[in-house]
Amino acid sequence: MKQWMSLAGFTLALALVAGAFAQGDRIRSIELLSRPQAAAPQEFQSAQLIAQAWRELGLDVTVNAMPWEQLADVVWYERDVWDVTAWQMVGRPERGDPDEIVFNLFHSSTAESGYNFIGYNNPAYDAVAEAQRVETDPDARQAIVAEAQQIINADQPYMFLVHPQVAYAFRSDIWSPDSIVEQNGIGIKNFWSFIGAQPASDQRDMILNSADVVQAINPFYISGAVDSWITELIWDRLLRVGPDGLPQPWAAESYTWVDDTTIDVTLRSGMTWHDGEPVTVEDVVFSFEAPMGGEVPMYAPFVSGIESVEALDDSTVRFSLKQPSAAFLVTSLAKVNLVPEHIWGPILADLVDDPDNAESYQEDMPIGSGPLSFVRWRASEEVVLETNADHFSAPSYDRWILRIVPNSEAALGMLRRGELNFLSAYAGDPQILVDTSQTEPINVVASTDIGFRFIGFNNRRAPFDDAAFRRALSLAVNRNLIAQAAYRGFAVPSNSPVSPALPFWHEESVMNFETGIDLAKSILEEAGYTTDGSGRLLYPDGVSETLD
Amino acid sequence: MRTARRIASRFAQMVFVLWAVATILFLVFRLMPGNPLVAYIDPTFTEEQQQELLQRFGLDRPLHEQYVIYLGNLLRGDLGDSFFYRDSVTSLLWDVFPNTLALTMVALIIAYVIGVLLGALLAWLRTSRFEGIAIPLVLLSRAAPEFWLGMILLAIFSFQLGWFPAGGAFTAGSEAAVGPGRFFSLDFLRHLFLPALTLAIYLHGLPLLLMRSNMLETLKEDFVTMARMKGLSTWSVLVRHAARNALLPVLTAFALGIGYSIGGNVVVETVFSWPGIGRLLVRAVSASDYPLAQGAFLMIAAVMVFMNFVADLLYNVLDPRVSQDA
Repeated sequence: MKQWMSLAGFTLALALVAGAFAQGDRIRSIELLSRPQAAAPQEFQSAQLIAQAWRELGLDVTVNAMPWEQLADVVWYERDVWDVTAWQMVGRPERGDPDEIVFNLFHSSTAESGYNFIGYNNPAYDAVAEAQRVETDPDARQAIVAEAQQIINADQPYMFLVHPQVAYAFRSDIWSPDSIVEQNGIGIKNFWSFIGAQPASDQRDMILNSADVVQAINPFYISGAVDSWITELIWDRLLRVGPDGLPQPWAAESYTWVDDTTIDVTLRSGMTWHDGEPVTVEDVVFSFEAPMGGEVPMYAPFVSGIESVEALDDSTVRFSLKQPSAAFLVTSLAKVNLVPEHIWGPILADLVDDPDNAESYQEDMPIGSGPLSFVRWRASEEVVLETNADHFSAPSYDRWILRIVPNSEAALGMLRRGELNFLSAYAGDPQILVDTSQTEPINVVASTDIGFRFIGFNNRRAPFDDAAFRRALSLAVNRNLIAQAAYRGFAVPSNSPVSPALPFWHEESVMNFETGIDLAKSILEEAGYTTDGSGRLLYPDGVSETLD
Repeated sequence: MRTARRIASRFAQMVFVLWAVATILFLVFRLMPGNPLVAYIDPTFTEEQQQELLQRFGLDRPLHEQYVIYLGNLLRGDLGDSFFYRDSVTSLLWDVFPNTLALTMVALIIAYVIGVLLGALLAWLRTSRFEGIAIPLVLLSRAAPEFWLGMILLAIFSFQLGWFPAGGAFTAGSEAAVGPGRFFSLDFLRHLFLPALTLAIYLHGLPLLLMRSNMLETLKEDFVTMARMKGLSTWSVLVRHAARNALLPVLTAFALGIGYSIGGNVVVETVFSWPGIGRLLVRAVSASDYPLAQGAFLMIAAVMVFMNFVADLLYNVLDPRVSQDA
């Protein structure tokens, strides 16, 4: 009875409020941020198409382009002031495990200064994101990750646009096409192609290109994307993410889970560092303990789940974890580079009394145990590595040479001339690349990226704090149009943070979404949004616009 | 004595200009929009890590303190460490400076030799049909964008004919690329050819037009008429009397041209993937890498101011009237 009374009172109050503010406020002008046309043509074009669709809903939208440095400054460090922004997540092999994407991007704990820069906050989602983290049974975890994707679909904290397809190419007269491996979500430019490529001619050098310079060759510091191509080859890891996206033994001969939080790893025997010293279990323990100290901040998160690591005998290392972790194999064992204690031990000890840390330390002659060893590096010219013949998986060519080529057209010209034989970066029109391959011995492979392009709604700010509003905005935009017009067909539509390039984790059901202006309008209508005489969109009855 | 004092005063002026440049650079980079740490720090870093980095680079200090530290380091020849490469700016600059110098010098020498000769010839052939064709062509080469010219040369001589490599300073992995002798290797010269040619075509218009108009002036002077009246050969009149005098301003332009071109090769360096100061500079500016950009600008300014100084001295030697006027 009492409940009925209060409900009646509430309804009455609601009616009064509604009467006082017959119509909701007009929605303010919305600013859509993007990088400029010159720097990110596809992103800028997408933003224009999206603004067009939103205007049809009765919103006043301006696209505001700014250089990346400024955009990142606003979006990342002033999280309360912007409305909507175009953004991207790039694909990396370790993102082959969904944890980083499912947890870091949307869990409320990372909203203040971490990856959840849009300020998405849904306790139900938080629970699911946490659950997938500790579930070690793959099938059970798959179901939880699917549920996470369904919640994201319903809430639309992001408006996913596309998973771009990246095109790389190689000379088929120089590399036997069967030996070039396409890794799920990464493409043919990957570790497995680099070590497995079989020469088809007497050219014994793999010559690749990058438009960006290499910043550092350091086992404890990966900054630019290009750096990691090199560190992966010079330094071994216990496991590697395989071409299928799943972890497999590498420098470890095998591993066994003793229980939920204990894993024993057997080190492969007979490995040596590039300076001839043997690789020992002490080196392995050192490699995992080093980031636990203060001198290796970038790798600290990858060992933060480890309670202790100890050598059981001269070939076995035991890892004890703080809590069960499904992603441990990928985010820790397949991530941490094995480094020689006899080199890095003294360096780290010296750094303790220095304001600098291991990240700013550059070895003159980097020493790892990987399939290729360091020869030389000239910042704006090239990096030269040579095959480590003693390695258990040594490449069958002689040298791996990365050329810095800032001019895309010249890079393609070099590939045609044979100055390059593996086009590992290409910013030009992919169609030109495909056309070139029709007449020359060049193989082009376009692969769907693990990464994705999206529009981030600032979930902290009205009207984007309303899931129905976000949903309407998202469904107003035709993703096929974006993929065809802005990306020239080199992209697949997206509605999930987990790329179709990861078939085990990707939830297909969320991909069945229809788009259309009428559909979007009906969702807005249902949620109570109306339009005024001039067609401008209004908040639902009684809602006034409040910022901050 | 008087000469020594004048040189000393010119030198003092040079130091003052460098100080002014250094100060302006300092201010410009700190007033630019955007947080330099965005380019440097992975956004996943925690607040404490960001603070630690700010401290390490001294970015948390007040501006005037940063300025004093900056000038102090500059006097010791320490340009600081690059935010981006985490390496000393001095060593980064010295890595690419010889490449830039080689490209600039070769291009300038070709441009000025051709420019001076053609300029003299065109003055002699004034109002001929040859002039009617040559002058518009020269103006066109001066107006054509360098990147366009560079791409055309690349497309013809590299992509189509295959005579020259499409980029870089050395063949991939070439052993010739190691050691001080590398700038005299055939490999280096083959790579240098197209970028130097592009730059030379762009640069040759100035000395050509300068030489031509100087020659036209000089040919009207009394001493030339005198030489002709003495019955000297045309060649002797043209080269030994007229050209020698007309050359003076061109030499000054050459000295200054070195200074201007050192920093202005960005476009050619990008088109031909040439590892030079220009590319380093552009990368540094877009990444808000203060120390490197400052260092590169300062180096360019230093070369420029120094070449001005040299041009001044050169004038004294070549034309004694200048020193007497002062």
